[in-house]
Amino acid sequence: MGVRFHLAAVALLLLLPGEVLAQAIQYTRPVETAPQERTIGGGYKTPAAQKPLPRQYWLQVLDVVLLAGAMAVSAWIVLKKRNRRWLMGLAIFSLVYFGFYREGCVCPIGSIQNVAVALTDPKYSIPLVVIATFFLPLFAALFFGRAFCGGVCALGAMQEVVVLKPVQVPRRLDRVLGLVKYAYLALAIVLAIRPAIARDFVICRFDPFVGFFRKTGEPHMLLIGGVFLVAGMFIGRPYCRWFCPYGALLNWCSRIARRGVSITPHRELDCGLCNEACPYGAIEKMRAIRKDCLYCARCYASCPNEGERAKAKQELVTIGGSAR
Amino acid sequence: MKYQQSLVIGGKGSEPHQFAQSLTGLALDRRGLLHAAGDAEIKVYDPSGRLMSKWRTERPALSIAVASTGHVYCGEEEQIEIFDPAAKTARVWKDPKMLGRVTAIGFAGNYVLAGDAAGRAIRRLDSAGRTVNTIGTDNNVGGLLIPNGTVSFGVDGEGVIHAANPGKHRVERYSGEGELLGHFGRFHFQDPAGFTGCCNPTSVAIGDGIYVTEKAPPRLKVYGKDGQFGGVIAAECFDPNSKNIPVLAGARGRVYAADPVKLHILVFEPEAV
Amino acid sequence: MNQNVTRRAAVAALAGGAGFLAHKAHGQVVWQVNASKCINSRLGETTVEACNLCTSSCVVGLSAVRAVNEHSKCGRCNICPAYFNITSAVDEKGMPSEKLCPRDAITRKPIGKQDPEDPSNNFYEYTIDEEKCDGCGRCVMKCKEPLGLGSITLRVRYDKCVLCNRCAISTACPKDALEQIPLPAALEPGLARRTE
Repeated sequence: MGVRFHLAAVALLLLLPGEVLAQAIQYTRPVETAPQERTIGGGYKTPAAQKPLPRQYWLQVLDVVLLAGAMAVSAWIVLKKRNRRWLMGLAIFSLVYFGFYREGCVCPIGSIQNVAVALTDPKYSIPLVVIATFFLPLFAALFFGRAFCGGVCALGAMQEVVVLKPVQVPRRLDRVLGLVKYAYLALAIVLAIRPAIARDFVICRFDPFVGFFRKTGEPHMLLIGGVFLVAGMFIGRPYCRWFCPYGALLNWCSRIARRGVSITPHRELDCGLCNEACPYGAIEKMRAIRKDCLYCARCYASCPNEGERAKAKQELVTIGGSAR
Repeated sequence: MKYQQSLVIGGKGSEPHQFAQSLTGLALDRRGLLHAAGDAEIKVYDPSGRLMSKWRTERPALSIAVASTGHVYCGEEEQIEIFDPAAKTARVWKDPKMLGRVTAIGFAGNYVLAGDAAGRAIRRLDSAGRTVNTIGTDNNVGGLLIPNGTVSFGVDGEGVIHAANPGKHRVERYSGEGELLGHFGRFHFQDPAGFTGCCNPTSVAIGDGIYVTEKAPPRLKVYGKDGQFGGVIAAECFDPNSKNIPVLAGARGRVYAADPVKLHILVFEPEAV
Repeated sequence: MNQNVTRRAAVAALAGGAGFLAHKAHGQVVWQVNASKCINSRLGETTVEACNLCTSSCVVGLSAVRAVNEHSKCGRCNICPAYFNITSAVDEKGMPSEKLCPRDAITRKPIGKQDPEDPSNNFYEYTIDEEKCDGCGRCVMKCKEPLGLGSITLRVRYDKCVLCNRCAISTACPKDALEQIPLPAALEPGLARRTE
């Protein structure tokens, strides 16, 4: 053991210097090898190398302000105005601004990873803007339910605009599939809190629509996006309901929300139109399930006692004479 | 003519005959002993490569030359240190303006020639070390084009200075007064007689022929007195990262070249015909 | 009632979490190429091919990594191995006939006092047009010492980089040359070696 061990150690030591030398070449080098301005003459001034700065800080803050503002508007539209058209307008704005202009980054879904790493790695630096992006929709959810999902999330808006003929997914299947997002959340956190070299930000890597927002992307990302878009035409917002890890967090917060989408009991007709109108399976026994409701306001649009139809009915009753 | 490597002197290490960090200059005295400047020392070797003596210099040694009197001139930063034959410091010529970085020293008549890399020129000094005139600045760029940071030249028997001008890919001939007498060499990649890359040749020495060394890829070549190509003496033996390879011509066609990365001196002999 | 309590607890917990994280928040950290590790600029190997993984891995359309020439370190040589393809045939004026950059992103312009007769009697300034450069690294490899002076390095440009959580180039780089450093340090020029 002795001789062979020592021979091996010597051989290893002889192999090492090759790599070390390659990085530690030291030969004395004159200080001013490059010609200086006075040497070149003729009034020449050395141009400074450009140092393009990242996006200005106030613009990043503006994004957070717009996020908060959009959620406030979403909550107002769905809870007060109760108008689907205005909500679609907000969704289009979010898709264009947060999606195509900001290219979907920084988003609250991905920020889960940043927050998870920041909590576990003391050397990790998390910007204030990302902290705000993570917490604001959760605060909104505690008070108003999933206002973020309604007209603010760019991924959600992307799926909203392609809903064509949504089928009602059987409740049991919906429940089971809904568990996938919890598993995805756990997986994303586990892979994000690994040591820096092995850290894997899977939410970013498998973001379905960021490839479209950037107008370029790896084949697998574009493929996943395409699948979700095509599926989204016939199944309401599959990513939001079954895969979105942030949706899992919003789900928890919405359960104890102060207010939420309410199909008002005193105007109940028991017609069930809202139930059929909701593509996301969020209406049970004529009541909105807050934790699943994605704030799309379709139930209001279909309700005979809401919005335009209610006003028209009201007028009809008033004109027609005494109400029964 | 083909050459063969006959000897390797020095090396990288901490032994007395080895070099720690740098090997920057070579010179021969009348007795045929090889002087090597490197680190902040001068080492003297006998023809078989054995270390005979060594002594410290005041500043890191950048170049070396031995006069016919046996005095050793060592070029350093902002000064030339002159040692007597007993290796004691005899004089120091300080001149921050004219001798910014002395990377080559030669002799022509009663004058001492010093290659100043900071000024990109060759200074002709009198016996007191004062600059009499400057050679090589009479052109549009105000000096020799030396992105590699060293001035290198050799003086032939008639006192003509052969200086390397690497930015122009040629070796230029100057008179002692600074007049450009001629030049040879051109940029070429495929032709081995040409100088490739951005700035070659890096160093020049005069002996039986004109010996030049290049960088990237490192080569040692020889030309005739009027610039006709004599052949590549050696190429593969130098570390590929070496640049500014000091070169020295010895007696009977012998050539010395120092590898500044591996820190050893290679001796080449022409093969017996 | 119960819900109210839970909600208040949740709000407090979230606010506490946000405060704790805000307390830890540092300045901005960005991805940058470490020139001492990048194959194209690090010293040592002299005969390797230029690595262009920066070009192909970046998620942005035209890679956020571009070659930058630090002018104060540039030799301003007449025949620049990064501008010219020095292995190409020499034309009648004695200059190489082909340029190296496949996208023609480097411009060469004489500076200072100019000698109209002899082109080699001039200094030249080489600038890389960042709109054309895609970070392929060929010029960087040729400028590397000992062939050049190492003034061109690959740098991440922050007006193009989207600051991914895990830079796709950092995953692809064989030498782990992409690292996350504070912004002021990332804006400094690339150093291919440590100065003595």
